[in-house]
Amino acid sequence: MRPRVNLQEDVDLVGLPLEDERPVEVAPARVPATPGEWIRDNLFSSVFNGVLTVVTGALALYLGYQVLRWILVTAEWAVVKANLRIYMIGRFPLEEAWRVWASVFLVAVLGGLSFGVSGHRLRWTLRKAALRAALAALVVGALVFFLDGPRIWILTGSVPVLLAASLKAGRAGYERLRVPLWIGWGLAFPVVMVLLRGFGGVPPKLWGGFLLNVVVAVVAIFLSFPAGVLLAVGRRSSLRAVSSFCVGFIELIRGVPLVTLIIAGFNLLPLMLPSGMDLALIVRMMLIFTIFSAAYVAEIVRGGLQGIPFGQYEAARALGLSTTRILALVILPQALRSTIPAMISHFISLFKDTSLLAVLAITELLRAARRASAQLEFLGAKKEAVLAAAVLFWVVAFSMSRWSQRLERRLGVGER
Amino acid sequence: MTEGATGEPVEERPEADQMIVAEDVKKWFGKFQALKGITTSIRRGEVVVVIGPSGSGKSTFIRTINRLERHDSGRIVVDGIELTDDIRNIERIRSEIGMVFQSFNLFPHLSVLRNVTLAPRNVRRWPRRQAEEKARQLLERVGIPEQADKYPAQLSGGQQQRVAIARALAMEPRIMLFDEPTSALDPEMIKEVLDVMKQLAGSGMTMVVVTHEIGFAKEVADRILFFDEGLIVEEGTPDRFFTEPEHDRTRLFLSQIL
Repeated sequence: MRPRVNLQEDVDLVGLPLEDERPVEVAPARVPATPGEWIRDNLFSSVFNGVLTVVTGALALYLGYQVLRWILVTAEWAVVKANLRIYMIGRFPLEEAWRVWASVFLVAVLGGLSFGVSGHRLRWTLRKAALRAALAALVVGALVFFLDGPRIWILTGSVPVLLAASLKAGRAGYERLRVPLWIGWGLAFPVVMVLLRGFGGVPPKLWGGFLLNVVVAVVAIFLSFPAGVLLAVGRRSSLRAVSSFCVGFIELIRGVPLVTLIIAGFNLLPLMLPSGMDLALIVRMMLIFTIFSAAYVAEIVRGGLQGIPFGQYEAARALGLSTTRILALVILPQALRSTIPAMISHFISLFKDTSLLAVLAITELLRAARRASAQLEFLGAKKEAVLAAAVLFWVVAFSMSRWSQRLERRLGVGER
Repeated sequence: MTEGATGEPVEERPEADQMIVAEDVKKWFGKFQALKGITTSIRRGEVVVVIGPSGSGKSTFIRTINRLERHDSGRIVVDGIELTDDIRNIERIRSEIGMVFQSFNLFPHLSVLRNVTLAPRNVRRWPRRQAEEKARQLLERVGIPEQADKYPAQLSGGQQQRVAIARALAMEPRIMLFDEPTSALDPEMIKEVLDVMKQLAGSGMTMVVVTHEIGFAKEVADRILFFDEGLIVEEGTPDRFFTEPEHDRTRLFLSQIL
């Protein structure tokens, strides 16, 4: 493998010693020599532990067998296979599906480059390699099983290939790519919108399935973050009008169930908008999710702000920095870093909450799944239909969680 | 006063010679009156050490000089500019006054170098290169040029305080305020910080230092202000102050700390 030019910097960033793969040295005590010894030490160290091992082992085997048997034998996955397009893009016309693919490719390339630039790389140990191989086999198997025909195999298969290739390119480009990448991410959303809608594209009312969940969640996350930060800062403003507005807004929105807001966005919002301004339902829902999320982000950020010692403000003030710069350069960078776990947690739940759009008969993923299982030929396959939707949600939510852990590690530099 | 103790040439106009003028400065925290009428003036290049028991108002006083505390009555004039509520004025004065705190208050999310360059780049609008060049000079001057790329948490207390001094000096201030700069340090690190402060005093900087380091006061101060219960009880040169104090209160305090 090519040695990394910026290895030292990278290591400093993570705050780990250079040889972070090396196990920490411990007292050279009982290292089990054989698998037999390991089993005796860890599973049968006493009679009671032996009984526990046998009982839980049997239970685990039984459950595992049942689940696997259901997944591989009993379950009728045809419902998912036949409705996969509805799951992913709803009523988005098939002949326009290339627009979605183009968007996915764009995000894959940007994501790969970003990971590469931030020094991400796959570490290959024997265990990890085996784990990855098993995972890859599972994914490939599922894709071949669920996806119809070589065209879609190739399209789907190119996503990980693109990701890997741009990761490598990102690692090679390192510093040079940093600024272009920020610009790229900044443009990504408008570009995707144009791709989906522009030049004879598909109107939002035809967007559906997982695409819809993702688009609504992404818009809400990226708009509610700055909005929430502003609300949190505004809440502490010495101007009474500003702070009262922020407190009022936050408390009002937090005090109402999301479903209520969604229904209000459906019924009430059109009445409140100036006449002639006709927002598509999906756009209104993006707005509702943004407002909802902003209130929670504001409270999370408030928690972060409270954790900043007063001395930080004083030191910044003593240097002659203006209030805005103190916030932007000293306070917020620290406050936001400490809120990453809570923030990502909130965003994950926001993402899953997009399934509440089903109450408006919008065909997002969950409703798509239930509709699929209501088709005459798939009656009785509801478990399979909903489980498939759940797996999709889980994969994205889990990725977000892993990404946040990475982010925390990367930003945990020099923490006091 | 013809020449400052630091040997800096004294300017012609006597009124321009006053860096800090305080007239009957009073400050309340709720019902508690922390400052009961402080009147003093500090010349350009003068090193003033403020001592006194805790709760005597000495910290509050130096914090009013750069308006970290707002005084409730009286006047404070710094380098010819009176401190008022005008925020622009305050930010301008603050950028002329460096301050070093007891608890360092470095920015933990920034490297040492960026701690030092933050204000010059964002307040003075210096280009990055110029700010970093200056920062490296200053880190050299406080004796830790090799720590530029570390983060504050990776440094010892003494090193952190020296970074804090460099950070304050980076704005090229006319006045430096020190609020118990060595009180949070382990004994073996106090000297390294005091050495930097002595060197700074020797360079002609106007300094106001709240400290309990009597050795430092004797060696470096041009004048000692002794605070008690919100008033300046006694002031004088270190020689006079430590050998023949006039007031009983001063004698009592000195007997407790010497």
